[in-house]
Amino acid sequence: MKRNMDSWVKNVIASDKRLAMPIITYPGLALTGNTVLEFVKSGKKQFECIRALAEKYDSIAAVTVMDLSAEAECFGSQVRFSENEIPTVIGKIVSDEESISALAVPKPGAFRTAEYLISTELAASAIADRPVFGGMIGPFSLAGRLFDITEIMMEMMLEPEMIKALVAKAAEFLQAYAQAFKDAGANGIIVAEPAAGLLSPEKSAEFSYEYLKKIIAAVQDDSFIFILHNCGNTKNQVKFMQSTGARGLHFGNAVDMTLILPQVRSDMLAFGNIDPVKVIKLGSPNDVRRSVRELLDKTAEYPNFVLSTGCDTPPASPLENIDAFFESVYDYNNR
Amino acid sequence: MSILNEISEKLQAGNRNAVKELVQKAIDEGLSAKVILEEGLLAGMSIIGEKFKNEEIYIPEVMIAARAMNAGSELLKPLLASAGVKATGKVVIGTVKGDLHDIGKNIVRMMMEGKGLEVHDLGVDVSAEQFIAKANEVDADIIAMSALLTTTMTEMKTVIDAIKAAGLRNKYKIMIGGGPVTESFCKEIGADAYTPDAATAAETAVKLCAGK
Repeated sequence: MKRNMDSWVKNVIASDKRLAMPIITYPGLALTGNTVLEFVKSGKKQFECIRALAEKYDSIAAVTVMDLSAEAECFGSQVRFSENEIPTVIGKIVSDEESISALAVPKPGAFRTAEYLISTELAASAIADRPVFGGMIGPFSLAGRLFDITEIMMEMMLEPEMIKALVAKAAEFLQAYAQAFKDAGANGIIVAEPAAGLLSPEKSAEFSYEYLKKIIAAVQDDSFIFILHNCGNTKNQVKFMQSTGARGLHFGNAVDMTLILPQVRSDMLAFGNIDPVKVIKLGSPNDVRRSVRELLDKTAEYPNFVLSTGCDTPPASPLENIDAFFESVYDYNNR
Repeated sequence: MSILNEISEKLQAGNRNAVKELVQKAIDEGLSAKVILEEGLLAGMSIIGEKFKNEEIYIPEVMIAARAMNAGSELLKPLLASAGVKATGKVVIGTVKGDLHDIGKNIVRMMMEGKGLEVHDLGVDVSAEQFIAKANEVDADIIAMSALLTTTMTEMKTVIDAIKAAGLRNKYKIMIGGGPVTESFCKEIGADAYTPDAATAAETAVKLCAGK
């Protein structure tokens, strides 16, 4: 459903309630009884899970699936699938200037990206009470999957122009992919750029955020917003993340939100950052309640803060912990 | 500036060719391989480790420094061997079976090498049998395991159980790390040390080797 996302952002900030938008699509599989493998290969199954989550939980937006391998697969990367784990890219498909120059930029909708666009289209037409956000990888993280993440860390220092040529190709694809999410009816997109969190603030800007800035300028408008996720150590990157023009920033549990929030502009949304593994997947409902309460207390003076998980929550995280997450927000608002 | 300081500085800048040339020059000038290693290469990596810990530099800078160190230490290896100089300790490292993530493990390996440890990297998707076979082969002090997934971290216990079953538990110290791993998980599965980051992992490995 088309909606004015500028007003939505303003309403979220103006709300007198503490609000939440955890990334819990994979644990939602417990509601529909699918395996991860079935899920990442079927847009219809993804949609059923997203709808089931939206019916059960009071999240401010519905979030589609993020596996961060689908985009590399479009470029030709090999992906290892397993029944109950998120797919992983294997090996590399480019290693030098020649192979980067020869690398063809695929069209959105190739391979499994078609399924993510289908799930978005179905979710956007069926879920009317909240925005629907698509999900995709960021340009530097995608380039890292194509080149090998360890090797790109060295080559970006030694052959920066060569790596920038690769990031530019990744960005070209991602701009078209973001546009395809918009055309499919999404109200925005969460861009996950974890590899930029391994870089110095200046290098993260040079190799990632400059490219994102162009993508966002081309696709973002009043009906479609970008939320930039980086689960690395972003304490010193906030100003560069803001410079991309994204309307929201989403932070991982590697950072202390009390150090982040003073740096975020008050008209931008800032999401974060309950540990999705140690608390949501491996903790008890009491651990979840304690973590949520503490984070809401610490962030009480920031109306632009939206409670979330620090990253994608792993498959098979207990639903009672997700229940505890939302119950804690409800209890906090009704104290 | 002494040649050893120069080696350290070029290493910190990640200048592999300059490090190689300077190490060769130091050898030609008659400096002992042990001195070049400790006061040139490892001194440089020690500064890199500190700067990384203090967030003055980041992963790419560490990696190119480690690459420069390796270029220098390749020249020293035969000289160190013939002089009977032994590494601070030996580590067998890998990402556990079923898990293909390796950047965290690679950074730990580089930081450990920067502390003068001899590190044997088995890569990703490493089985208990492979960890044990390599540790026996190289007479390791430490077996270090990495996992990024909650579904594969349990494989660490499988490896420890296999080490116990082989009667080798007292022979090897066991270190674990990775995104979902915690101190309490370390205790639960009977590993010797959990470290939350690469710099601490390298420091802990040196201590464990010294304490053996």
